[in-house]
Amino acid sequence: MTDKTILEVQNFDVDYGYGDAAVRAVSDVSFTLGASKVLGVAGESGSGKSTLVYGLTRLLREPGVIVGGEVKFHLDGEGEFDILSASEEEIRKIRWSHISIVLQSALSALNPLRRIGREFDEVLRVHDANLSKEQRRERSEELLALVGLRPDRLRRFPHELSGGQRQRIMIAMALALRPELVIMDEPTTALDVVTQREIVSELAELRRQLGFAMIFITHDLSLLVELADDIMVMYAGQIVERAPAKELHDAPRHPYTLGLMNSFPPLHGERTELEGIPGSPPDLKALPTGCPFSPRCAFAMDKCRQERPPLVLEVGTEHSVACWLHDSSYQGAVPVELSKRLAKNSGGAQ
Amino acid sequence: MKLLLRRLGLYLITAWVAITANFLLPRLMPGNPIEQLIAKLQGRVTPQMIRAIKLQFGQGLNQPLIVQYGHYMSGLFHGQLGESITLAQPVSQVLGGEIWWTIGLIGTAAVLSFLIGTTLGVIFGWRRGSRLDAVIPGATFLQSLPYYFLGTLLIMFFAAKMHWFPIEGAYDTGTQTQGWNWGYILSVLRYSQLPIISIVLSSLAGWMLGMRNMMVTTISEDFVLMAVAKGLPRRKVMWHAARNAVLPSVANLALTIGFLVSGSLLVEQVFNYPGVGNLLVNAVGNEDYPLLQGIFLLVTFTVLGANFLADALYYLLDPRTRVSGQAQ
Repeated sequence: MTDKTILEVQNFDVDYGYGDAAVRAVSDVSFTLGASKVLGVAGESGSGKSTLVYGLTRLLREPGVIVGGEVKFHLDGEGEFDILSASEEEIRKIRWSHISIVLQSALSALNPLRRIGREFDEVLRVHDANLSKEQRRERSEELLALVGLRPDRLRRFPHELSGGQRQRIMIAMALALRPELVIMDEPTTALDVVTQREIVSELAELRRQLGFAMIFITHDLSLLVELADDIMVMYAGQIVERAPAKELHDAPRHPYTLGLMNSFPPLHGERTELEGIPGSPPDLKALPTGCPFSPRCAFAMDKCRQERPPLVLEVGTEHSVACWLHDSSYQGAVPVELSKRLAKNSGGAQ
Repeated sequence: MKLLLRRLGLYLITAWVAITANFLLPRLMPGNPIEQLIAKLQGRVTPQMIRAIKLQFGQGLNQPLIVQYGHYMSGLFHGQLGESITLAQPVSQVLGGEIWWTIGLIGTAAVLSFLIGTTLGVIFGWRRGSRLDAVIPGATFLQSLPYYFLGTLLIMFFAAKMHWFPIEGAYDTGTQTQGWNWGYILSVLRYSQLPIISIVLSSLAGWMLGMRNMMVTTISEDFVLMAVAKGLPRRKVMWHAARNAVLPSVANLALTIGFLVSGSLLVEQVFNYPGVGNLLVNAVGNEDYPLLQGIFLLVTFTVLGANFLADALYYLLDPRTRVSGQAQ
């Protein structure tokens, strides 16, 4: 796998509403994604993680508006594609053939009046007029086989399939045109845990085979740790922490990341008591001054309530965090839960 | 298919209940219609005539109700609905002649109104919030006007003043004779224009708003977002949404056709157009009970038939209504 970058996002801002009524849902987000890499995006509901990816792909619905930033997609051999300045027609050609998306609920993502086969056929035909009907059908069956479904599923309507089958169909469809980037918006949230596990391991396997990059959105950090190369944690529309998955898991630096981590039972390892995060996600219309997480943060200091911490890359690491506790100006002791340390049970990171 | 047959059975039972009620009602009414008829003739009747009238109503032989019911039902199966008192013709023949005017005029207008309104609804729904929305109050205004007022207004202006359309009737009775000749057909087409326009104008808003609102709801569905994400051209995305949004309107269309006969009354009065509505008004005015009964039966059957049609259409258009094999 190469170190090539396929997606580059600079100072990306998204608002909901216009003028005085506007609310900043994604604020000053910058990141890059390498080819064949998996970037996990985690955060509570309303943290802006979905808004971010819908913004990046220009699928944002009213009243969402992209107000600033740059999004560059690197096409193989064709150079840079500026997503935000592209015309509707240009972006239409990029969609699905280069960037595809899988939504949370496969039942509502499939047209209820159409057989599965017709949905496959349509997307193949629109992007490649040269394929014959027979070729399109073969390709559809091939794709179903990829996710372990029998070809006769093509004859079915969405309501005739189980939740897991529908989500597999969505994944197969997302891979139909061999895109370089697949965006997964909580693809397993609506499924039971057993199916969830199956799908996640299938996804990992498919990625090994086909080598596409993935942005995987979820609020389940423990899931990301297994699947993602890097994890980005969002709060109130901002990135509060970004690090390689293992490192983030073993040594979270932001109090919010720690809170998220303690909200889910680990998939492996001993059982611990779940803690959760006190309070509720912030009201974007009335963000507190300073760090938006400060009202819910157990470690908040005076400075946190006055100044917003910038996202800073720690020297000599790939770990960025936006927290005054880790700022060079901070003189006190970093709480032990958030300090640089070796992992509890696996001695991997640092 | 089993589902449809079950529905059909249900409709057959409903039809039987309606037929029976239609049989019983005149017989249970206070004031015997036969006595009324005889009273209206004011002594100018001989006993033979009274007997003839009673026979015509199937009451002359003083049969018990159940026997009359048997006669009534067997007559019905043979298409006999009795004799119209005022027109001196079998009711089935009278209805058979007039029904085509109603189907032709009201049916065409209903389908046209549905097609135009739904198409506009798709466009307005797709472009909600644009300047197109300004058309909506105008359309609802036309619908909120009482139909006879709108119809009369149209006649006064476009027919009487501007002479763009004939004022009344179904064809030029002065120059044309009924039959399959071009002059007559063209005349019928020309005379039907203004009535059809008036019906479309007064019913368009309903289709348009219904479809627009369904479009707005459907567009926010995930599968429409997916259609965009899949890079489909706008036309195809719109089709994904419209095909789903049209379902309630199609069901409504079938139900509207059910009210074809009863709804024709005002139009046919305003434009002095032949048809079942006009027949009904005359039958009520003349206390022509056999004809009234016949019309009621016709209304019952069209409503039931249209309901069944709506079920069948839904069955065809929406796979979710079909009871089929389970998942796996």
